[in-house]
Amino acid sequence: MKRPISVVIWIIVALVGASALGGIAFHRGEPLNATWFVVAAGCSYLVAYRFYSAFIAARLLALDDSRATPSERHDDGRDFVPTNRWILFGHHFAAIAGPGPLVGPTLAAQFGYLPGTLWLIAGAVFAGCVQDCIILFCSIRRDGKTLGEIAREEVSQRGGFIAQLAVLAIMVILLGVVALVIVNALKSSPWATFTLAATVPIALLLGLYLRFLRPGRVLEASFIGVALVLFVVVAGQWVADSPSWAHGFTLSGVTLAFALIAYGFAASALPVWLLLAPRDYLSAFIKAGAIFSLAAGILLVRPLVLMPPLTRFIDGSGPVFAGKIFPFCFITIACGAISGFHSLISSGTTPKMIIRESHARFIGYGAMLMESFVGVMAMVAACAMTPGVYFAINSPASIVGATSDAAAATISSWGYPLQAQTMTDLARAVGEQTLLNRAGGAPSLAVGMAQIFSSTIGGPRLLSIWYHFAIMFEALFILTVLDAGTRVGRFMVQELGGRVWKPFARTGWWPGILLSSAMIVGAWGYFLYQGVVDPLGGINSLWPLFGISNQLLAAVALVVATTILLKMKRIRWIWLTLIPMTWLVIITMTASYQKIFDPNPRLGFLSYANALAAQIAAGKIPVAKIADTQRVIFNQRLDAAVTAVLAAMIIVLIIEALMQWHRILSRNSKSVLHETPYVATRWTEDFSGASYPGTAAEPEAPAMEG
Amino acid sequence: MRAQDKTQTHMEKAYALAVAISTKRLAAMLWRGIREWCGDSAYERYVQAQKTKPEKSCLLTPTEFYVERVNRRYSRPNRCC
Repeated sequence: MKRPISVVIWIIVALVGASALGGIAFHRGEPLNATWFVVAAGCSYLVAYRFYSAFIAARLLALDDSRATPSERHDDGRDFVPTNRWILFGHHFAAIAGPGPLVGPTLAAQFGYLPGTLWLIAGAVFAGCVQDCIILFCSIRRDGKTLGEIAREEVSQRGGFIAQLAVLAIMVILLGVVALVIVNALKSSPWATFTLAATVPIALLLGLYLRFLRPGRVLEASFIGVALVLFVVVAGQWVADSPSWAHGFTLSGVTLAFALIAYGFAASALPVWLLLAPRDYLSAFIKAGAIFSLAAGILLVRPLVLMPPLTRFIDGSGPVFAGKIFPFCFITIACGAISGFHSLISSGTTPKMIIRESHARFIGYGAMLMESFVGVMAMVAACAMTPGVYFAINSPASIVGATSDAAAATISSWGYPLQAQTMTDLARAVGEQTLLNRAGGAPSLAVGMAQIFSSTIGGPRLLSIWYHFAIMFEALFILTVLDAGTRVGRFMVQELGGRVWKPFARTGWWPGILLSSAMIVGAWGYFLYQGVVDPLGGINSLWPLFGISNQLLAAVALVVATTILLKMKRIRWIWLTLIPMTWLVIITMTASYQKIFDPNPRLGFLSYANALAAQIAAGKIPVAKIADTQRVIFNQRLDAAVTAVLAAMIIVLIIEALMQWHRILSRNSKSVLHETPYVATRWTEDFSGASYPGTAAEPEAPAMEG
Repeated sequence: MRAQDKTQTHMEKAYALAVAISTKRLAAMLWRGIREWCGDSAYERYVQAQKTKPEKSCLLTPTEFYVERVNRRYSRPNRCC
């Protein structure tokens, strides 16, 4: 009886999903309702989870619940902690979800809502989730080893080294570009700057509370912290209204960049309990709250999506960033569809806490589906505003002009009607002096979120509070990525430096800490500064660079996964990882080539550098600006070199992998799988429900035998 | 397992679930989940893990444990883009 009913239900879910997808793909004319997007994404995820992930779990990976996981074999209450799957899902999701799935789709909305939405859904289902789930599985079978270690053992020494380098490269570029997103959101905005600055003393206060007053009482400290943060969001308005305070917090892009660099250095060098950890607790709670509110807001308000399905900018002439829909739509939306960075989380903390192998499906595949849904919501929020407003917020001054009148005239001439007064009114309504030329995605997403939130609570009167709440929420968790990333980067630099000179690797040695912190902050700080002073708006050159490096790391992860599957003799199903890997290699290589060599100065780094050099030679640049222009030329050549190195790394890795695959398939040498040997579990419960080991309330839960 | 036994275990599970869904238990479950998710109960969990260990090592104080825990947690990638 049960089976026919479930067959009918799944047929209905699939049909509803397919018609919603068809609806958003083929609908033209009147604006669509956001419900279409939620239904299309939701049903696609349900079907993918029910069937595709089940297939991967059962046939491809053959997840084995009789096998003891690392958390059972090494349970130490520190790293290896058996954790209920729902809670681990929460941990894993909080770790993988960052600003990426919010910013990427917002930027890619310049192509229209359709390409980004389809890539978010299909990319997650067929590539991102598969990567996360398989790498999680591989790490569980290897005692929680990291991606770099797995690559070294299963592919080759060189493969492991490339993975490590790729991680460091992506870290530096990622930190530079997310810092740029904050700078563009905060510049000339005393309200937002004050709110974010005030979170630093709040975090310090919590740090002291958690260290000296009530050690480890994270929950109560976070409640106090969240209340204080919400207060400073409101208090920012008083700062913006007071002329003397507002003056002090109205900062230029360059000043903000240096403030962020100083912050990153402090967070990396100071004890972690003082600043970094308490800020992370704050950010985790606010992140969870804001994402749930955004989902609830979209479901309640069901806004109309005003952006057309495809814009004229699919030809590559887009003002937000240059480049055609292929490959740049797939580079711009990295997180949300597939993100290489996730493989570091999947081979980090999560495998050490998982109770059962079968939970890898729910946690690895499921959490990535949820991240993809966050991406779709960001797309809806960005596309729910008038296209003219969207382009005015996200385009650099060099393209649309620096005044409302100029921007309105340019954007209207593209076919997206915009009144100058609209932008002035909107800026006033959200409590800002201007919303023009704020490339980076954060402000336009905040406007979208504020419009959705204020339609449910508070009306237009609260628009400014909601806007600054959204900015604070984005900036807060970008700062978390910034400080946590700087610290991890510092350890990587120390580890690499330690190979040259031993004392450098000592984690307690102050000169080493300061020097390595300065090196990593200097590296991303350089990219940040370069982005801030870039006349084309740094997002245009840096976000694609970030996308390329992130997709490169994803390709590394999929190469490792394919190699392991080949060794496991899963040749029949190898296309499950081989096709996404090939796709990633194609898009990263095409994008790298175009970013380096394209003759269009807005797209190609080298042609932009050459165009500027030609202008200097022709005497078209005023003498006072020659030094600045020469710096821009140097930066463009540096970006070209970085892109070339990234592309070279992937080529070397693919060659390494092909050689290894040839060895495996030709059976000339015995291929060894470096899994930890099978140990049968002693836990009898399946831990699917509420009872799980480690809860004081139910000490009988682990139900050990023998 | 015979079909009859299987039905019986299903019935038992359903009954157990019905009991679990009493409001109080649900709230307690949620509270426990949040505490574990944010790391509030990490020390209790650690003490418990140490108790089950056969060899006796000296137990860290809550402060020592907290500092050690955050130090380790933030030394590897744990926040993504």
